[in-house]
Amino acid sequence: MLASYGERSPEQVRERIDSLELAWLVHQVEQRHGRMLDLDDDVLVRMTTVTGAVEVLAEVLAEPAGD
Amino acid sequence: MSNTGWATGAPLTTTPDWVDELLLAGDDRDVCLHFGSPVDRAALRHAVADRENTLRRLGLARGGAIALRLPPSLAYAANLLAAWRIGAQVALLDHRLTAFETDRALDRLQPQVVVSFTGTLPGGLRAFYDVTDVAQARDGHPAATGHAVIQLSSGSTGPSKVIARTAEQLVAEIDRYTRMDGVPLPGERVVLLASVVHVLGLVGGLLYCLHAGVELVLPERLTVDAILRAVAAGDAPTTLLGVPFHTELLASNPNPPKLPQLKRMTTGGELVRAEVAQRFTDRYGIVLGNMYGMTEVGVIATDLFGEHRPSLMPAPGITVRESGGELLIATPESPYVGLSDPTRWVDGWLHTKDAGRVDPATGLMTVLGRLDSQVSVGGLKVDLTEVEHTLAALPGVESAVVVYDGGIEAYAVVPDAAAAATLEGELAVRLAPYKRPRVLHIVEQLPRTATGKLVRDHAVLRTADAKPAT
Repeated sequence: MLASYGERSPEQVRERIDSLELAWLVHQVEQRHGRMLDLDDDVLVRMTTVTGAVEVLAEVLAEPAGD
Repeated sequence: MSNTGWATGAPLTTTPDWVDELLLAGDDRDVCLHFGSPVDRAALRHAVADRENTLRRLGLARGGAIALRLPPSLAYAANLLAAWRIGAQVALLDHRLTAFETDRALDRLQPQVVVSFTGTLPGGLRAFYDVTDVAQARDGHPAATGHAVIQLSSGSTGPSKVIARTAEQLVAEIDRYTRMDGVPLPGERVVLLASVVHVLGLVGGLLYCLHAGVELVLPERLTVDAILRAVAAGDAPTTLLGVPFHTELLASNPNPPKLPQLKRMTTGGELVRAEVAQRFTDRYGIVLGNMYGMTEVGVIATDLFGEHRPSLMPAPGITVRESGGELLIATPESPYVGLSDPTRWVDGWLHTKDAGRVDPATGLMTVLGRLDSQVSVGGLKVDLTEVEHTLAALPGVESAVVVYDGGIEAYAVVPDAAAAATLEGELAVRLAPYKRPRVLHIVEQLPRTATGKLVRDHAVLRTADAKPAT
């Protein structure tokens, strides 16, 4: 998903996620899952690595959609 | 669509009261800024007067020197305008600089007052912050020059360049904006996505909007949804001002809401990629304009109707020529203060270090790319040489090469595994986040040419043997 920003190959995506990539990732996930992610700042800070982002998204997307 | 109806025809002039006359004037109830909530002229003037009292109490006077280390915020705007009203010289430090970089900048600039903020900033996707600003006097010196603003730029020879502009030059840039077709008109809105601390957001956003009576809106966050919500929150014709990343982000939304007030998006920095530009204009049905500028000069050339892409028309009053494949800008005085590379400004011409050409028939200019080691990361210029020198100077590093390949990448020879393990932490102390290598390869040796020079070719570097973890 991150690779689609700047049309990179998945191998070109690095572990560390910068703020531009984070904005991109959040938007892509929202589109793919058709729901808004209301992530607070602590959660966004955890999403600054690919590993952390995967963990956060797994947690957030496991929650029922709603408010 | 034309500004000619309101531009006076005579250039704006700078008086000692330029802040009051050109930026702060207007009806008390006129909403001029939107940092989370609307700020009218009366509230802005109050915030500025409040900071002015504080700064004067700390001894700041006409000709004094102050540094602002504030994130984009109302506090930043108020302190900046207050210091200019006093007649002081303001150094703008990016709040993302590390303590190490900030200390080095303060050592160099020696301001008499520093305005910083308390507490830690919330992370993630913010366009502005609600901060408590703290002004402190320090043992510094009055301004050595008559410039109104000082900005540091990542320098190609290690230390950063000190770029200075006078109030007259800032006013002349505001004037250029008022003379260009395609900029937001009085009564309209700008939703600003670029940083208000750097030249595009500072002059093209904050100062121009205050002058022209355009409401400047910062979205709650830099997400697609929050940006479009900021557009939808007002009825007046609205322009988005950002960098190419923001266009790419917005263009990825396959079904953007219908926003009849959204009139245009304008980006600064490098050119938006052609397929992204096409997707954006298809999906939003609005004009995508492009601007070219530098911290040293401000806006240089524009294509605000997207009709000359990839070329641009020099802004009113700007003279551009091509010399040896490089674009040069006529600037009567050097924009650099103190020791600086003498090849950057020669005999009234600023060397942009951008490759380009100027069409003698039409006057249109085309930017073809950098001639030096500067790259653009999210619209911020980063000099790879600075990153490379910083890395090479760390303990245990024998040699290092830093290249750009979709992101900053570093290759380093570090024989001691313990030293190698500390490098990322050491870099984090010395370099602001946007300057840090996205990936650090520890290799056995770096490829060299037959004459022993380090090779900077990405393809060759990728074949360098990784040092096995021990």
